[in-house]
Amino acid sequence: MKILVCLKQVPHKDARLELASDGSWIQDANIKFEINDYDNYALEEALRAKDKDAATEVVVLSIGPDRVQQSLRTALGMGADRAIQIWDDGLAQADSLAIAKTIAAVAKAEKCDLVLMGLMSDDTNFAVTGPMLAELLGVPHATGIVSAKLDGGQVEVERELEGGALEVVKIPLPCLLTAQTGMNEVRYASLKGIMQAKKKPLDKKSLGDVGLSAGAVAAKVKVEKIYSPPKGKGAEILSGSKDEIATKFVGKVKELGLL
Amino acid sequence: MAKTLIVGEIQKGGLRESTLELVAIARKLGGEITSLLIGSGIGAAADNLAKKGGGRVLVADDASLANYTADGHARAIRLAIDAEKPELVLIANTPIGWDVAGKLAAALDCGIATDVIKIEQDGSDLVFVRRMFNAKFDARLRVSGSPRIATVQPGAAEAYSGSEAGSVAKLDGVGGDSRTKFVEVRTAAAGGHDLTKAEIIVSGGRGLQKPENFDAVLKPLVEALGAQMGASRPVVDAGWLPHEYQVGSSGQIVSPKLYVAVGISGAIQHLVGMKSSNFIVAINKDPDAPIFEVADVGIVGDLFEVVPALAAAVKTAKGG
Repeated sequence: MKILVCLKQVPHKDARLELASDGSWIQDANIKFEINDYDNYALEEALRAKDKDAATEVVVLSIGPDRVQQSLRTALGMGADRAIQIWDDGLAQADSLAIAKTIAAVAKAEKCDLVLMGLMSDDTNFAVTGPMLAELLGVPHATGIVSAKLDGGQVEVERELEGGALEVVKIPLPCLLTAQTGMNEVRYASLKGIMQAKKKPLDKKSLGDVGLSAGAVAAKVKVEKIYSPPKGKGAEILSGSKDEIATKFVGKVKELGLL
Repeated sequence: MAKTLIVGEIQKGGLRESTLELVAIARKLGGEITSLLIGSGIGAAADNLAKKGGGRVLVADDASLANYTADGHARAIRLAIDAEKPELVLIANTPIGWDVAGKLAAALDCGIATDVIKIEQDGSDLVFVRRMFNAKFDARLRVSGSPRIATVQPGAAEAYSGSEAGSVAKLDGVGGDSRTKFVEVRTAAAGGHDLTKAEIIVSGGRGLQKPENFDAVLKPLVEALGAQMGASRPVVDAGWLPHEYQVGSSGQIVSPKLYVAVGISGAIQHLVGMKSSNFIVAINKDPDAPIFEVADVGIVGDLFEVVPALAAAVKTAKGG
């Protein structure tokens, strides 16, 4: 069995995000990046399938500049077998469909049984690349899964709905699944794993290498501007020493008739 | 605006409220409106939508569509798009909407804006407004091609409340196989920790840094106030607290008299679960955290200093 896991590198959870001066994007030159949280759960699910069946091959793929190699090495250190990085100036303004087309070009050549990725990314939150990729590959999909049971030629998954409800569906392989956060407990790379990762293959490819051109992945969706959300009424900020703040807090609770 | 197709949603046999929110958005943009409803035995819901502003309502009614599948829904929506040639397709950003919308966009090779909160007319073009970076920033998007697809965040618009003379028409050829087989919907097991009836909830987030701090730092305030403890999604995902503590769209939807959010930045999925609380206090070290936008009172500071001070002051006020 061959599993392709798509990883996106996103700003670190604790990075302080500032807007670029022209408002086109965030300032991303001097911040830390990490693997998108949702994608970590997808990777862990693939590695668990490999734990059960050593013949399973786990290929990790990321689209992005050379900084993504660090995330790919982390994934190799956790147990993935090989990595593919795709980068090209033609992808600098890529939208979700362009990303899906690029991954599809690789996934078709790889002939995977299962494609796993996160439900969404923590930066753009579009949550749409997975279903797009499934359609381009001509395979069925399920989004936002919290469990996956492989059983011969099919997989039974639980999809998270609203209010804690779960939808159970069966999907034949090959298929694509997007992971909800919390679906498993993500492992850390061991020291031994990190050492081994250095020797595992990491192939860097351009759009041309995967049979595409910048024109074929021209964006249909353009971010015109990002900005801080307009302030609503906002909260009344309590100021003073911590004891003064505590006294004001008690006053509010009393006003509510709760003390 | 020339023509909009609204993809409505059936929930428990009736019309989901988000459908009427899409109606409101489409009517504000103006132009011709067609709606589509997908399901089995949904004639009454279709009549209802036609009367509530859905315009001409196409009904994809087939036993094979009784439960959602991406294949079944996509087939029906594509038939409606082929027949109606809309320039804009509106879908609610629900577990159904986000599952099918991307598949549709790829099949039609068209542009899509997801989880949109507002659509503005700008001359002959449209601007799609949505949140990004987990609600830290807003973004304005331009989408090219036809049709354009937008999934809209439930609750982003007021539901249309007018009554109109619409019509209902059957959409043919909608039945068929799906590769995905629906098995069942499991409702959440009723946990022992019901927050929906709590008067006061004190919830902790990732800002508490480690699981032990829920007992060491948060619990004294919970006990002093006679509150129930809640948590944000990352805390539950990390296994620090069980799912029954989770407040948010995928956990419990709460509206206590007092909600205290400690070290919670305010991701949309959390805000949905607590924003209708009567009074909200937020404690966070980041003055730009989105939680302060829904809070009545904010405390910008180190929770490890602030929370013990609050607990002590509440205890003193109670005479203990």
